[in-house]
Amino acid sequence: MTHDWLWLIPALPLLGSLLCGIQHAQVLRGRTTRPDLQPGIGAGATAVAAMAVAFALSIMGFAKIGGETSFLESSSWAWIPGGGGLDIQLAMVLDRLSGTMALVVTGVGLLIHIYAAGYMRGDAGYAKFFAFLNLFVTMMLLLIFSDNMVGTFVGWEGVGLCSYLLIGFWYDRDGGKPGHAAQKAFVVNRIGDACFLLGMFLLFTTFGSLNYGELVEGIRTAALGGEHSGTLALAALLLFGGACGKSAQFPLFTWLPDAMAGPTPVSALIHAATMVTSGIYLVIRLNPLFAASELALFLIAAIGAATALIAGSSALRQRDLKGILAYSTVSQLGYMFLALGSGAWVAALFHVITHAFFKALLFLGAGSVIHGMHEEKDVHKMGGLRRHMPRTFVTFTCGAAALSGLPLLSGFFSKDEILAHTFAVGGAWWILWGVGVFTAALTAYYSWRMVALVFFGEERFDSQAVHPHESPSIMTVPLMVLAGLSLVGGAIGLPAVFHVPHLLGDWLEPVVRTGNEILEHRSGGHLPHLSHTLEWILLGLGSAIALGCAHLGFHRNKNGLDAENSFEQGHPKLAATLGDAWGIDRAYYAGIVTPVKILAAFIAVVIDALCIDGAVNGLADAAKRGGLRLRALANGQVSSYGLWMGGGAAVIALLWALGGI
Amino acid sequence: MVNLLFYIAALVAVLTAVGVVLARNPVISVLSLLSCFASLAVIYLLAGFQFLAAIQILVYGGAIMVLFLFVVMLLNLGGLSQEDGEQDDPLFHDRRRSGGGLAIAVALGSASLIGILRGARHLAEPTNGFAMPEEGLDALPALAEAMFTRYSLPFEAASVLLLSAAVGVMVLAKRQRHDGLAPAPSGEDRP
Amino acid sequence: MTVPTEHLLALAAILFAIGVAGFFTRRNLIVVLTSIELMLNAANLTFVAGARLHSANGGVQVDGPIFVIFVVAVAAVEAAVGLALVIALYRRKQTVSLDAIARMED
Repeated sequence: MTHDWLWLIPALPLLGSLLCGIQHAQVLRGRTTRPDLQPGIGAGATAVAAMAVAFALSIMGFAKIGGETSFLESSSWAWIPGGGGLDIQLAMVLDRLSGTMALVVTGVGLLIHIYAAGYMRGDAGYAKFFAFLNLFVTMMLLLIFSDNMVGTFVGWEGVGLCSYLLIGFWYDRDGGKPGHAAQKAFVVNRIGDACFLLGMFLLFTTFGSLNYGELVEGIRTAALGGEHSGTLALAALLLFGGACGKSAQFPLFTWLPDAMAGPTPVSALIHAATMVTSGIYLVIRLNPLFAASELALFLIAAIGAATALIAGSSALRQRDLKGILAYSTVSQLGYMFLALGSGAWVAALFHVITHAFFKALLFLGAGSVIHGMHEEKDVHKMGGLRRHMPRTFVTFTCGAAALSGLPLLSGFFSKDEILAHTFAVGGAWWILWGVGVFTAALTAYYSWRMVALVFFGEERFDSQAVHPHESPSIMTVPLMVLAGLSLVGGAIGLPAVFHVPHLLGDWLEPVVRTGNEILEHRSGGHLPHLSHTLEWILLGLGSAIALGCAHLGFHRNKNGLDAENSFEQGHPKLAATLGDAWGIDRAYYAGIVTPVKILAAFIAVVIDALCIDGAVNGLADAAKRGGLRLRALANGQVSSYGLWMGGGAAVIALLWALGGI
Repeated sequence: MVNLLFYIAALVAVLTAVGVVLARNPVISVLSLLSCFASLAVIYLLAGFQFLAAIQILVYGGAIMVLFLFVVMLLNLGGLSQEDGEQDDPLFHDRRRSGGGLAIAVALGSASLIGILRGARHLAEPTNGFAMPEEGLDALPALAEAMFTRYSLPFEAASVLLLSAAVGVMVLAKRQRHDGLAPAPSGEDRP
Repeated sequence: MTVPTEHLLALAAILFAIGVAGFFTRRNLIVVLTSIELMLNAANLTFVAGARLHSANGGVQVDGPIFVIFVVAVAAVEAAVGLALVIALYRRKQTVSLDAIARMED
């Protein structure tokens, strides 16, 4: 049976977006100046309501599957009716993977919408903001629920668009920096999108379909039979390229720190919890494809680990509060890809979920801090805020604790599972494991450095000018919910050594079955496995590192900037490189952006203005001059008319006489 | 002998035609045209079209040329001495226009001649060598019969045309209240 | 007369060309009108030549002469109207030079 109500889940936020857009149109026409104080339903309330219903529907769908039914499908819509081979049918499928992701997107999204309704109050573009935000959720849901790569790609592009719109939301502030950041995000994403398209084309020409079910079938047959291995590897790498763009992996991560120019709810929703996880979603969805290629898996894991290291180390030296969180996000995304590359699909999704909880929490908390500090973002200018913002402080600390992987919190379990899987694979993966562990240490350090610099120590700001205050309940309640989830969210993925079922793993088993089958086949029946002893050791190691580095980070920074300054004086070059994110962005600007800009300027001035315009205007000019000459013909002189007529007759006569007409 | 007459008449026709075009004095032009008509009438006669020759002399020479001369004399355009008010008509004042006109004339003329030459071989030689009936080729009875039966419509149309022409000419040439004719050289005759 | 038809036609062509030359070249309106008459006569001659040719083998053709008669009538009409215009023009401008009426806006 078909469940057409599934279309409602993405459709309701779309409706919300349209209604908010209408309200914004009213603002533009000057009929109202405070869109958040509308009589009746305000834009914020509309958007929140849409999210709430979408969340409820997601829960309903989630509750229906499990047990016998492992997925719900809606009726399909023939977007591109077939015939000549290209037959694109779109349907919404709520299976265990998409259902889980949908819960995260709508649930965390709902909390962030509520927060934003308070955060964005007073902004002239209030309704526009919610229009964009709801539109984003629609696109993300399309991405998740689509049963077809084309539908996913539509959502993929859509979230990229909304990301652009929302990053550049305050385009007229700060010297145009948000607009520039939005453009950068879009362009870098585009590179990834090109890879995505190529991968899609390759899969279509090889397997004749872009429907996930059919693709998985085809890939399974090919992989188990050992055929098409080159094609599968290439397709996997191309799709991973697409994922790199969206999920900000090296070398396409430079847009994410810049994206912090957007409003904080945007950073929380798009650049922490949802859009950046779409790359991971894609890999999990097509796990057989990636499982089939050793090369692809290793590359994914290596790039993930490298990205985690680069970003984690850069976060150590960031002064912008949101910047620390941005690099942290990139780093954690690297962990997710490390998991995928190790074949730990479930661990990756687990980390997606826990990361969504605590990173969204951290961003929203940061927003609360920045709001209370009157838009001050530099942690060097904060300090001792725990007295002024108690609720923000407590929730933020919960988030930092989860991020740093303190034992028994959500982040601990997900991160540990990833590292355990990586260790279990062995061989070259041990290097990656080492990188992961080192980065975990860095993570703990910078998380608690952040907490210490912001909330502890003496106040490094002018208390006359700045009066930090706690945020209203509409903002702190979502923080508290997220804090709770960050603390206990690990329960869905407890390790086997605890002798409890791994809830998430069991739940997702049908989704990753084929991928695991292919992995097993390729490794000759041996899936990576850890003995219980080793697992306990790793758990202990992880806890020790997390606690140790957290302690270090906290104590060195809780009394002020001494640690920061001494590091800068002691290792100036290292400090500068880390602060600059290893100089990668600068290298891009020098090596790629500037030459392209020069080329563009050349084309604009020489080719466009001179040649093309010259040709077109030249033609017009020639026509005008020709017309002026011809005008001399109509001079009002009868005799000249007569002459021309006679001349014409003479010509015809001559032609007849000489040639014969 | 008869053919020789034709060629003489043809020569006269061409010479007088040139005279029409080149004459400085419009009276000379009109009179040359009259001579041209006369030579053409001779040619018609030689070709066997007596009625047409008569019509040519009567209508063209007797009516049209007379009308021309009327107007020329009325407007005093023929004076050899050209003083005030008379137009000065140097022949090839406007070189470009004259050159163009001559070129067109030459082109049309040569085109026609070439066409004639090319088509000449298609003209069937008459077997009887242009023998002529007694009463000529345009015998009046046959002509009249054709005119009033087959060509009755053009005939009536032509009469309407003549009527309207007469009316039109009267309107056009009507003396306006304050217009005067060209003053005589002495400047009298003002209304 | 046993002159070949093409000679008659050639004469007509020459007369026509002369008429054309005069029509385009001269500025005196009277001469222009006489050039027109010349052209019409050349056309008449062509008709006569054709009629002569077609009647030569025995059938008397009256179509040629009838056409000539109509041409003469029309030429007369046209000459009359043209001369009336000359008179009207002379009244306005005291001249019969084409240059005086060269511009159509006059």
